[in-house]
Amino acid sequence: MAALGSTRLLLAASAAFGAASRRCFLLAGARAGAGRPGWHGLPKQGSAACSGASRCFSLSAPSRRSSEDKITIHFINRDGDKLTTQGKVGDTLLDVVVNNNLDIDGFGACEGTLACSTCHLVFEDHIFEKLEAITDEENDMLDLAYGLTDTSRLGCQICLTKSMNNMTVRVPEAVADARQSIDLGKNS
Amino acid sequence: MAQTLKLVKKVSQFTRLIPELGVKLGLKGKERTSSGLTDLPGPSTLSFLTELFCKGGLSRLHELQIQDSARFGPIWFASFGPVRTVYLAAPALIEQLLRQEGPYPERCSFSPWVEHRRRCHQACGLLTAEGDEWQRIRSLLAPLLLRPRASADYAETLDGVVCDLVRLLRRKKSLLGGSADLVRDVAGEFYKFGLEGIGAVLLGTRLGCLEPEMPPETDTFIRAVSSVFVSTLLTMAMPNWLNRLLPGPWDRLCRDWDQMFAFAQKHMELRKAEAATKSIGEPKNANVSRPHLTHFLFQKELPYASILGNITELLLAGVDTVSNTLSWVLYELAHHPEIQTALHAEITGAMAPGSSTHPPATTLAQLPLLRAVVKEVLRLYPVVPGNSRVPDKDICVGDYIIPKKTLVTLCHYTTSRDPDQFPEPNAFHPERWLGGQSAPHAFASLPFGFGKRSCIGKRLAELELNLALAQILIHFEVRPEPGAGIIKPMTRTVLVPERSINLKFVNR
Repeated sequence: MAALGSTRLLLAASAAFGAASRRCFLLAGARAGAGRPGWHGLPKQGSAACSGASRCFSLSAPSRRSSEDKITIHFINRDGDKLTTQGKVGDTLLDVVVNNNLDIDGFGACEGTLACSTCHLVFEDHIFEKLEAITDEENDMLDLAYGLTDTSRLGCQICLTKSMNNMTVRVPEAVADARQSIDLGKNS
Repeated sequence: MAQTLKLVKKVSQFTRLIPELGVKLGLKGKERTSSGLTDLPGPSTLSFLTELFCKGGLSRLHELQIQDSARFGPIWFASFGPVRTVYLAAPALIEQLLRQEGPYPERCSFSPWVEHRRRCHQACGLLTAEGDEWQRIRSLLAPLLLRPRASADYAETLDGVVCDLVRLLRRKKSLLGGSADLVRDVAGEFYKFGLEGIGAVLLGTRLGCLEPEMPPETDTFIRAVSSVFVSTLLTMAMPNWLNRLLPGPWDRLCRDWDQMFAFAQKHMELRKAEAATKSIGEPKNANVSRPHLTHFLFQKELPYASILGNITELLLAGVDTVSNTLSWVLYELAHHPEIQTALHAEITGAMAPGSSTHPPATTLAQLPLLRAVVKEVLRLYPVVPGNSRVPDKDICVGDYIIPKKTLVTLCHYTTSRDPDQFPEPNAFHPERWLGGQSAPHAFASLPFGFGKRSCIGKRLAELELNLALAQILIHFEVRPEPGAGIIKPMTRTVLVPERSINLKFVNR
C-alpha cells in the first residue's frame, strides 16, 4: 500500500464519511440552520452535544409544564394492539412507556443508558423527518436493533415535541427467537 | 508476575503426569447434563485438558476458539475445569443468545471471584453480583457512567490525567540515553494511566500514579490486577481436586483481591473523612473538590460493604482495559505511519483556530477516523476475547436447545476475526469502518458486549482513549522499536500483549 496514496484515501474517506453523515443528519431532519459539525469538528454551536443538553430529561426530571402540554401518542404493540397514552413535552418515549406502565415486553431494558436496543421504535415518515439528529452513540446501538427499518430510532433518545401530538409509533418484533424457544420448550 | 508464571509451569508439569486422573474426575459432571447438549460436537476432556495445560492453551484461549470452531463448526461443547460450557462462534448465534436475555442477565454461575467474596465476607460489586443485587447497583451506576451526556462530565478531570501522562512519556523516553525516544513496555505505563483515570472518576482525587515517584500502594494494586487475572484463569481451568492439591493459584487470587480491597478501603475512608470535615464548615481542599462516584454512593445509603465491593471492582476494571487498548492502538499506528499521519491531521484539524491544544471531548467523539481506528483495534484485540452468559430459561440457539443454567461462552475473538465478516481479518484496516464496503454482521465485533449487562465503563473508556490518543499524537510521532518484530496477543483472562510493546515517541 503506497503510504501517500493511502493517506489520501483515508482522508478522502473520512471527509466523505463526514459529508455523508451530515447529509444523513439533514435528511433525518436536523433543525433548519442547526448544522452539525463535520469531521473537522467546528465549534460546537448547534451540535448534537449542545442540543442534547437542552433536550434530554431524565425519568425523574421535575416537570413545570401544565396539562395543556400533554402529547397523545399511539403505540402499535407487537401483537398489533394499539396503546394510546399521553406524555409531556420533553419526556422521552421511554419515559412515556415507563410512566404509563405500558405493557411492552422487554422495552427499555438498559434504562435509557444506550446499552441495548430494546426501545427500538418505527416512526411515521413525516415525524421521522423532523426528529432531532441522531448521535453516533445512538447509531451504534441502532445497528444492533432487530428488524431495523429506514424510519427506526431508539425511544430513549426521542423527546416529545408538540408536533408529535397524535403520532403513531410501531413497536417492532424484538425477540422472535425467544418466542420460538418458548414454543419449542412447550413441545419438549 | 514471574512467580505466577512459574506456578503455571508447575501446574502444567503436574497435569502432564496425571492426565488420566483428570479425565476421570472431569467427566463427573456429565451425568447432570441435559440430553440436548450431548448431540453437540466438541473435544474430549482429555484432549482439551492436554491443550490447556501441556500446550500452553491457557494463554492461547483466544486461538483455541478459532481452532475449535474450524474443527467443530460455530457451536460446540467442552469442559473447562469443573464447568461444562457451550461455545458460540458465529455472530448470528451470539445475537440469538443475547436477544433472549432475561431481566437479570447472569455472566457466570461459577466464579472464583464470587467464591472469594463469600469466603472473605466481602460484598459483590457490579462484576460479580447477580440478580436483584446486581440490578440495584446497575440502576444506580449506569446513569452516571453510561449515559452519554453524564460520562462527558468526566472529560475535564480526565484531561488533567492525560496531561500528566504526556509528561510521564517525556520523562520515560529521556531515561534511556542510548536508544533515544524509546519508552519500554508502554502497557506498563498505561496501567498507571488507567488507575489514575479511574481513581480520579471514582474517588475524586489524584492517586499520583503518573508522578516520578509512584506511591508504592498504587504499584501493588496494579500488580495485583495483573496477577489476579492469571490466577483466575488457573483456578477456573483446574478441576476442583487439582485446586485442592495445588492451592497456590487460589491463595494468590485471595491475596490479590485482599490487596485491592484494602487499597479501595483506605481511599474510601479518606473520602469519608473529607466529607465529614467539609460538613462542619472547613474550607474546601482544592485537591479533592470534584464530585465523584464514591460521594454519590455514600449519599445513596448503600451499605458500606457494597460501596467498597463496587469501588474495588470498578478500579480493577479501569486498569487493564483502557491501557491494553491504548497500547495496541499506538502499536498499530506505529506500524502504519500513513494512517497515523491521517489521524494526526484529523485531530489537529479538530482544534478550534487559536484555541488551546486540547480539542474538546465532544468533538473528538465525532471524528470518523479516530472512531474507526478505535473500532478496528478493538476488533483485532477485543479486551474480553470470550465472554459468558448463563440463560435463565431454555433457549433455542441454531439447531440446538440450550437448557437454562448452562454456561455459554461467546467467542468474540473468533467472530471479530472471521474472514467472512472482515476480509483480511488479521490486518489493521480502519477504513473498513468508514462505509462504502459491505457492512459486517452487527454482532461480529462486540468489544463492549450488548444489552443491560454490557460494559458499564464503555463511555468512560472511549473518553479516556480519545483524550489520550489526541494528546499523544499532538505531541509525538509514534514509531516502532527498530527490529522489534510482530507482537501477538495472549489471554490473561483479558487479552494482553504477549511481550512488552516498546515504542519510540518522537517530539513533533
